[in-house]
Amino acid sequence: MKGKILALGALMLAGLAAPASAQTMSYAQAGALIAKSCGPSIERYCSKFNIGTGDVQKCLQDNKDKVPPQCFTDFAAVQASIAKRVAAQEGAWKACAASAQQFCSGVQPGDANLLDCLLASSKVVRPVCKETLLNAGWAN
Amino acid sequence: MTRFTRILGGLALAAVLAAPLATSASAQTDDSAAQIMKGLSSVTNDDPSLTVELLRKMAQDAVAANQPLSLNKSEIAKKLDKLAQITVQIQFALNSAVIRPESYATLGSIADAMHHPILWNYKFVVVGNTDATGTRKYNLELSQKRADAIVQALITLYRISPDRLQALGLGQEALQVPSKPDDPINRRVQIYNIGTVAPMPKGTTNPQ
Repeated sequence: MKGKILALGALMLAGLAAPASAQTMSYAQAGALIAKSCGPSIERYCSKFNIGTGDVQKCLQDNKDKVPPQCFTDFAAVQASIAKRVAAQEGAWKACAASAQQFCSGVQPGDANLLDCLLASSKVVRPVCKETLLNAGWAN
Repeated sequence: MTRFTRILGGLALAAVLAAPLATSASAQTDDSAAQIMKGLSSVTNDDPSLTVELLRKMAQDAVAANQPLSLNKSEIAKKLDKLAQITVQIQFALNSAVIRPESYATLGSIADAMHHPILWNYKFVVVGNTDATGTRKYNLELSQKRADAIVQALITLYRISPDRLQALGLGQEALQVPSKPDDPINRRVQIYNIGTVAPMPKGTTNPQ
C-alpha cells in the first residue's frame, strides 16, 4: 500500500518534472568563469582595458594566437547564459501567471510575496514556471 | 517594467520592515549575493533630498576648500550613513580605473543581488573612495573613474538597467576611518540604495 502511494506520488512528480537545476549560471559564476579562463590573458595582453567596455573582448580577439581557446569558449558561454537568464527574468510573469492564479490567488501583491508563494508551491507549479524561476536565478 | 516586476517589487517593503536596522559604515565587506541583498534592502530613512548631485558638489567643495582633515566623520559620510548600504573591495590596477579580473566575480554577486525581485524596483549609487595618500583632486578624479568603470561593467556585462545605477567618486572626502586617513581600509567601494525606480504596487491589486 505504502509502495503504491509512493509510486503514485513519483508518477505525479514525474509528470510535472522540471529541470532540477538552473540552465543558467549566476552572475557571480559568470564573472568567476571569465576570470578563470581569460583573466591571465587579460592581465597580460589587455590590462589597459575595462571589462564593461567591450574593449577587453576586442583585445583578446586581437591576441587570439596567444589566448587559450577555452577563454573564447567560456566567454561565449557566459554571454549566452546571461542572455538566457535575463530572458527568464523578463518572462517570469508570463510564464508563472497561470500558476500564480492557481496557487497564489490569496497572496496580496504589494505586502505579501508572490515569488515566495510560487517557491513554496514549487512541487505543483507548472514546469514552465518552475523552469523560468530556476533560469532567472530565483529558485534553487 | 512588467507587471510581474511591480508585484514582486512589493517583496522589498516586507524585507525592509522585517530587517534589522543597517549597521552603518561597518568595515567588513560583503561578498555573497545574499549578504549584499540583505545590506541593500535593510533600510530605513529614505531621504529624497539626498542626491548624487548634492553629494558630488559637497565633495568638490571640500576639495576646493582644502581644509585640514578632521578626525570626525565628514558631513558627506554622515549623510551616507543613513542609507542601506554595502561595502565591497574591488581590485583595480595601480593608479588606474581598470578592474582586475579577480574582482569580476564580486561584481557578479552585486549583479545577482540587483537582479533579484527583492531589489528589482530599486536604484543605487556606486561610490568610489580612496585613502588620503596622493592629492585630494587626483583622488576625487580617480575614484569617479573607478565608480564609472563598475557601473559600466554592471550595465554592459551583467545587464543591470542603466536607469538603476549612478556612479559617484568621493575621493578621500568620506573616509571610513578619519583617524587613519592613509590606511588602505579607506579604499573601498560602497553601494547605496537610493530609493525606488517606479512606485511600489498597491496591496489591493489582484493577481490575474
